[in-house]
Amino acid sequence: MALASAATDSPIQTTSETNDNNLQTFFVLHKASSRKSEKRSTGTGKTRRRIDLSPSSPKKTDKSEAERAEEWDERRYEHLRMEAFELVWSRIDLTIKDVLRGINTNVLNEIHSWVCESFNAIKSFGTLGFAEATRSFPIVAAATCKRLFTGLILTKNMEFVDDLLTFEELGLSLRSHGCHVANLSSMDFSAKNGIGGCLRGFLRQFLTTTLDAADISILASWYREQDNHDSPVVVIIDDMERCCGSVLSDFILMLSEWVLKIPIIILMGVSTTLDAPRNILPSNVLQRLCPSKFILGSPAERMDAVVEAVLVKQCSGFSVGHRAAVFLRNYFLNQDGTLTSFIRALKIACAQHFSMEPLSFILGDLLVEEKQKGEKICLLPEVILKHASQLPSYVRNQMADQTAKSLVHGFSELKRLQKCWSIVVLCLYEAGKCNKIRLLDLLCEALDPDLYISRASNNHVELDKDSGLGMASDRCKRRKYSTFQKGGIISQIVRKVRDLPAVMLYQLLKSWENITVDILEIHEKLKELQSVLRFEDGKLKQNVDDISKRHSSWSPLNIEKDSKAINEKAATLLDCLVRDYLRPMECIPLHEIVCFKNVEKLQLALIGDPRRRIQVDLLEFYKILQCSCCSKSGNVLLPSMHDTSVISGTW
Amino acid sequence: MDIDNGVEEEEEEEFGFSRNYFLAKELGGSGKKSACKLSDIDLVDEQELRAAASNIEPKHEKEVVALMNSYRILYPKWVFELRCGFGLLMYGFGSKKALIEDFASTALTEYCVFVINGYLQSINIKQVAISLAEVLWDQLKTKLATTSGNLPKVQQPFSSRSMDDLLAFLNGSQAQDKDCFICVVIHNIDGPGLRDSETQQYLAQIAACSCIRVVASIDHVNAPLLWDKKMVHTQFNWCWYHVPTFAPYRVEGMFFPLILAHGNTTQSAKTAAIVLQSLTPNAQSVFRVLAEYQLAHPDEEGMPINNLYTICRERFLVSSQVTLNSHLTEFKDHELVKTKRHSDGQDCLHIPLMTEALEKLLMEIRQ
Repeated sequence: MALASAATDSPIQTTSETNDNNLQTFFVLHKASSRKSEKRSTGTGKTRRRIDLSPSSPKKTDKSEAERAEEWDERRYEHLRMEAFELVWSRIDLTIKDVLRGINTNVLNEIHSWVCESFNAIKSFGTLGFAEATRSFPIVAAATCKRLFTGLILTKNMEFVDDLLTFEELGLSLRSHGCHVANLSSMDFSAKNGIGGCLRGFLRQFLTTTLDAADISILASWYREQDNHDSPVVVIIDDMERCCGSVLSDFILMLSEWVLKIPIIILMGVSTTLDAPRNILPSNVLQRLCPSKFILGSPAERMDAVVEAVLVKQCSGFSVGHRAAVFLRNYFLNQDGTLTSFIRALKIACAQHFSMEPLSFILGDLLVEEKQKGEKICLLPEVILKHASQLPSYVRNQMADQTAKSLVHGFSELKRLQKCWSIVVLCLYEAGKCNKIRLLDLLCEALDPDLYISRASNNHVELDKDSGLGMASDRCKRRKYSTFQKGGIISQIVRKVRDLPAVMLYQLLKSWENITVDILEIHEKLKELQSVLRFEDGKLKQNVDDISKRHSSWSPLNIEKDSKAINEKAATLLDCLVRDYLRPMECIPLHEIVCFKNVEKLQLALIGDPRRRIQVDLLEFYKILQCSCCSKSGNVLLPSMHDTSVISGTW
Repeated sequence: MDIDNGVEEEEEEEFGFSRNYFLAKELGGSGKKSACKLSDIDLVDEQELRAAASNIEPKHEKEVVALMNSYRILYPKWVFELRCGFGLLMYGFGSKKALIEDFASTALTEYCVFVINGYLQSINIKQVAISLAEVLWDQLKTKLATTSGNLPKVQQPFSSRSMDDLLAFLNGSQAQDKDCFICVVIHNIDGPGLRDSETQQYLAQIAACSCIRVVASIDHVNAPLLWDKKMVHTQFNWCWYHVPTFAPYRVEGMFFPLILAHGNTTQSAKTAAIVLQSLTPNAQSVFRVLAEYQLAHPDEEGMPINNLYTICRERFLVSSQVTLNSHLTEFKDHELVKTKRHSDGQDCLHIPLMTEALEKLLMEIRQ
């Protein structure tokens, strides 16, 4: 089908070559053309850190030349945005991996200790002579010596995809400690693969030569002859419940026969319960296992840790708006329920942000060289500065001076306000932990600009077109907890602070002390509260200077009142922090550069739903094709309609 | 909240959609059915039918052209997302072949583009992997030659390597430039030749390779069932794009019989010839044995499987029953052969084509 050509576009031609290609299973459409050097920005990778956007071509009066120069600049900006995305996402990715690794560190260390103990136990059955060790058949031994030390790792996760990284990390960790590790998946234990295919896959992880026949005795020879026999062989099977029972049974029976020659230790991922092997393996195989259990961090724990590191603490500067956060939460809960899908949705949001927001490249440099950002922004060309000054949030602010300097100030202020917001969310989260508040739910509420505006207006705080904070220190003495959404999470948390027992309140205040250390004004408020308190005999008491008052405060009733008053003060402090500092990103000028808000595009990219969409395409084709002949027909069938639409309309 | 209201509205719409579907099914079953069948219609010859169909003027031609053109503004966004590491999955009513190839030809000129026609009946995924490896190898050699790097040593030919070795090569660290990838276009990744789970697993592993990016299209409404979460999120890494074109499925529909052709149960000679050409020579020879027997014994119900096996063994076409069974399974999958139970209890094979069509078919595959 030929397409009409636009002014500069060439139509699609169906050439004879293309027709021949239609019947080929595969073909090369074209090879890569050589890259032009000017399409790259100055320098590559880590060495390039300056924004060099000064126009390099002289102004031309010819329109087509100017258009070409602008198009070329657009490519450079696109390249800068691409680089900024890579920088930002690699920071996010690294942070996520560190966080997940941190959650599992204790368990991984525990597993390594157990592997060492198990290896020592196997060696204690006796050392083998060289001749015995290299014979191509297993040693005849007592049944007790044929048991395989098996670690059952409870993932507590129905979707294995979230644990892929964990098992990779486990393998890497054990390898770094000198173990010989084979990572096998449930695909290796499929009925189609059989024990032969499974064994071949297992051996391939240690032996570099191509195997004609897979035989475990080859591994035994390798183990002895290569001076490999000072470390155990660890087999990691990531999801044992998806394995074919018969293949897994044969594999375990075989390994148990050879365990004295090849000290093999098995680690198996189990997603439901630790009893799951009973459902898959027959009793004679179960007898060959000597199990120990290990439990990984829960999915909820991992989700909270990732949300904290990426969206609350904003490791990369990139953030999402309120509607986007709510969508991500609903997508996670309703559609998929895996952390992997959440992270992928975030990546798509990040990519779309850098693809659609022309100024997003600034985020890359804000991330890298904080000190020089002021200098860099001053170097930006006029057209970029003008574009930034036309951002809706900046215009609302009506800053009189729309120059590079005011932009620099704007970015500093954005960063500062974000830091304050992040600290208040973390304080709320700490306070909410005893009520098992999920951080993602709290985040959605904390990002809501409507709630912020209603909080501010309830307190008659001048918003001053999103520019400043209110004079809330006076306000919070007059009002208490009255500005939150009724039944909302934040209000729940603040109320619960009033009811916290003394020990927990004390610990909470200590944790707030650590969280608020970077923002002096918040930290001072907290110190002010802590200075009037002391923790004695399991109770929090107010410091009283007057001896007479101290005596009177010793009575149980007064101690009780004292404790309540302290809780009240802590709750009031939290209330003030929320009122003064919980300013969502969307209420801060210049947020468009760092914040993704386009939920509709994200939703379309994540959720395809072809079954529904194709039916809608057929029934409402006139909306897509924008034809005048069919648009007014409603449900009436017309001959001008697309044939398939007619057929689907007659169902 | 707006979002919650929006979610509720969407759920209500979906509920309404399902309710209408079930109501329609109920009502559809209650009415009187006609006893007329398509096979009662006196139809013209298939060739004449195809010629007439190709002369039908397509509807909304201008609007379809304008719609295709309107997608061009999305090309830079698609390239950006490919460079970010995502795979693009195009869906929506209408052939997307021309759109995707236009996108590849205009916006992906800096990258090598490898096309797989998934709408074909039979695709050998290993051959695809071998060719991809060869293309990558050429690209690496060219790149290293231009940068005066050391040329890699001559390696074992790709055609003799196992699938795992090919995947390891594609995923290797040779491609050090992150922005240098091969774009694999898969038309109809849900096509009949690619639908089996093993092929999809291999495609997912290919898509997960660091130097490969995938742009694919689907037309089957149940296509998402092909993939589990690992494939969607970590291997293919799909970004969905709704790009209805309303362009006719001329190429993709070539291998499906016309509804108005001689009944749904018979395969046309032309379609059968195309399918046979994509099979191995041995498979074609086995089919020829069967066809010759059928032509020689027009009154019989079919060729007993034992007879077929004996003749194929004699002619060294198969070495064991297992090999013959695999050929027969392939024929059955493509509806080239049907099995019947003979009156004496044996299974017989029958090619569901008219005598003339079968003779023509034999002549075509002899060429």
